[in-house]
Amino acid sequence: MPRLPPSLFWRARREISPMATYLLKACRDLESTANELRWIREHVRATPSPVFPGLRTWNLCERRGKGVPLQYVLGTQPFGNLDIKCRPGVLIPRPETEAYTLHLASLLSQEQQSSPAPLSILDLCTGTGCIPLLLLSSLLTPPAAPPKITIHALDISPLAISLATHNHAHNTALNLLPPPTPQTPHTLTFTRANIFHPLPAPPHHQQPGGTIDLLTANPPYISPAAFATDTSRAVRNHEPRLALVPDTSTSTLTDYAAAYNCLPQDIFYARLLECAAELRPRRVFLEVGDMAQAVRVVGMVLRDGGAGLGGYYATVEIWRDEPEVERVEMRRIAGREVGVRGEGKGRGVYLFQGDV
Amino acid sequence: MLRPLTRLTVSLRLARAPTHAHHGFPAAAAAPFTTTTAAPLKQMPPRPKPPPESDLEESFLKGSGPGGQKINKTSSAVQIKHIPTGIVIKSQATRSRSENRKIARSLLALRLDELANGDQSRTAIVGGAKKKRSDSAAKKSRRKYKKLAEEAAEATGKETTLKQAEEVDVEEGKAAEQEAAERVMQSETGNNTNAQK
Ligand SMILES: C[S@@+](CC[C@H](N)C(=O)[O-])C[C@H]1O[C@@H](n2cnc3c(N)ncnc32)[C@H](O)[C@@H]1O
Repeated sequence: MPRLPPSLFWRARREISPMATYLLKACRDLESTANELRWIREHVRATPSPVFPGLRTWNLCERRGKGVPLQYVLGTQPFGNLDIKCRPGVLIPRPETEAYTLHLASLLSQEQQSSPAPLSILDLCTGTGCIPLLLLSSLLTPPAAPPKITIHALDISPLAISLATHNHAHNTALNLLPPPTPQTPHTLTFTRANIFHPLPAPPHHQQPGGTIDLLTANPPYISPAAFATDTSRAVRNHEPRLALVPDTSTSTLTDYAAAYNCLPQDIFYARLLECAAELRPRRVFLEVGDMAQAVRVVGMVLRDGGAGLGGYYATVEIWRDEPEVERVEMRRIAGREVGVRGEGKGRGVYLFQGDV
Repeated sequence: MLRPLTRLTVSLRLARAPTHAHHGFPAAAAAPFTTTTAAPLKQMPPRPKPPPESDLEESFLKGSGPGGQKINKTSSAVQIKHIPTGIVIKSQATRSRSENRKIARSLLALRLDELANGDQSRTAIVGGAKKKRSDSAAKKSRRKYKKLAEEAAEATGKETTLKQAEEVDVEEGKAAEQEAAERVMQSETGNNTNAQK
């Protein structure tokens, strides 16, 4: 990264505040420096503490200036209408994830409007729990609340599971998620599990043999090489590698790579598609890192390794960063016409049993 | 009636108070942040409605990088363009993408109202009231910060000069004004929630 000119630090000091000079090191331009200083001050104002506010602001700016992500410094990230708590050791939710989660919720809501039915959702690699929490909150928003929602979410990391559980309670306490009522019975459970092992039996409230309506996953999808060169410094130095890079030091994962003949960054998709073949969810959405990875995953779905998934899902799409934008281009992948929906970078692969 | 405009960029930055208040579910206990709902402004013109979505072109301003897990941006700036007039509104008021989208639409509604109604627009009328309030807020905050800075200097033994206190003061004055604007927006977004109840 090029060094910032000293004149920029003077301008930050003069035009924003002396505290801005700390932030500038991490923010790197005056506009985001001013924004972040404002958000830090608002946080200090909104959270009571016996410590003098000026000192707290100063300390937070200093930590941020050392490159710690703002979400870890402030302890939160807004996600849809929710307030998601963030802690070191658990990946910070990204805006791209927010965009497709809201789009998935609106597809499910539309369906509920014409034919209300109980919904069952499974989220793998849940992290902070942001995806199932936002799905739940959006689905419960009138007018199309389903009669019953059952969500099950898994992660290998105990830190993630305890944070996700805390996020559920936190957003319920803030009144952003309603507590279950006899009119809208819903359950959301977070369980620690390694998805490369047989998935834990569905919790008691999920009928055996019942179909899953939606399977979501935002798995680690960065190769070791790209981790070293393509990730931003805040990500590389402060976010958990476990959440970002498939761990190829374990034989379970390398066995998958060998069996499915896939790249190290694609290993989770081999396993996730295996889960999809077993559970046959009506819809599947898997986040990916870029268009090239999206095309590879579609290839895995359509070829034999996808265990006949190509025949099972009438709709196979690639979603870009903004899938709600009404634009679909067709692209031929592995002998099939695949819709590429929305605007922005390639962000995920969507499978649906029905037609769009 | 709107005069067609060539291109006009309005970029407003607003301070953000916690946004939890306006999406609450009616069933449960009140959120702890309901204090952010401002006292209703007296005899203000009604909030202008944002134009239909079909008149808008929205873009999310992000860097040219890969996005997703590889980077971690803190701001989710949103830009909307009103196609009939060419007006462009950018909002990076909050850390919330969803909130910025709503704020951009409210700002656009106010801007269109200004163009259509001039002196009689909500912004013009609210603006008069806002100035009065922020003048007195700035005075209060100046006194408060001088006092706090003196206390802090004693308490911590750190060198906190009055000059520093004054710098904080200027900043806070600006923030107070921004917050007043934010309260306007919040009472407006509050209308949405009321409609839901
Ligand atoms: C990219 S993060 C996604 C977090 C969250 N869903 C989101 O969108 O912000 C990937 C998550 O997968 C979890 N993970 C990694 N390996 C796993 C495994 N073998 N089984 C289950 N979860 C795993 C990590 O702990 C991490 O929380």
